[in-house]
Amino acid sequence: MIGELHIDGDVRLGGTVQGEIHATGDVEVDDAAKVNASLAGGDINIRGSVSGPVTARKRLVVARSGSLTGDVRVARLVIQDGATFSGNVSMGPQPDAFTAAPEPPAAAPEPVTEAKAPEVAPEARLSRTDAKAKDKPKR
Amino acid sequence: MDVQEAVAESAPAEAAQDKKDGLRRFTMGPNDSLEGKLTYDGHVHVDGRAEGELHVSGNVEVASGAKVKALIEASNVTIKGDVEGTLNARDKLILGKNAKLSGDVTVRRLQIEDGASLNGHVRMGDFEHQGSGG
Repeated sequence: MIGELHIDGDVRLGGTVQGEIHATGDVEVDDAAKVNASLAGGDINIRGSVSGPVTARKRLVVARSGSLTGDVRVARLVIQDGATFSGNVSMGPQPDAFTAAPEPPAAAPEPVTEAKAPEVAPEARLSRTDAKAKDKPKR
Repeated sequence: MDVQEAVAESAPAEAAQDKKDGLRRFTMGPNDSLEGKLTYDGHVHVDGRAEGELHVSGNVEVASGAKVKALIEASNVTIKGDVEGTLNARDKLILGKNAKLSGDVTVRRLQIEDGASLNGHVRMGDFEHQGSGG
């Protein structure tokens, strides 16, 4: 798969994936998968090869067959013996704010391939700062 | 009564641990503190506070409750306490569940247990030619 995928639920990646994956639920990367994408999800379990930034709102697990190259922002992190990992790690409770960008918070059932979805988010983030009201929200 | 006996007793007990793998062991207790540069041929158990640099040929263990602000360079590093600084593990780094590590890490193998906290840049790979040839 090449492209941007927004999933309301869990997603399991096998094969080759390129682009961006945003899941409201969990993300699983199979051990044969080759992922060249940014991943965002709740619990992320990597058993294959991932290259790209990863944001796990809950926990990121890199299994012993897994390999991750990229920056990581997680609340909890587990790296099993045998796994490969290189990148910047930033740990701490991950607020949902940053995931608001790809996900339309109110309009959940909408098919997310519409370009409309990203436009909603910047407003949501800048909503309370009146000073910026007249500025065009930049994505 | 015999104060000397009390002192002599602790030596044999430690010696038993030391000779386990032929390497000496430098052990710090929770009330100990180390400030400066330590180059040690053996294993180091860090507890209490340590600040500066630790260049260790063997393994380094940072006990839970320890607060370390140092550059650590060793074969295997096991962290159960608080460490701030650059870390070079020629073989493996293990972060226990209460471990907190802030700083850049260069390791060959890495194991992070659930509950550990890590902030910094991680580089994995073979570093045979780095370090003091330990």
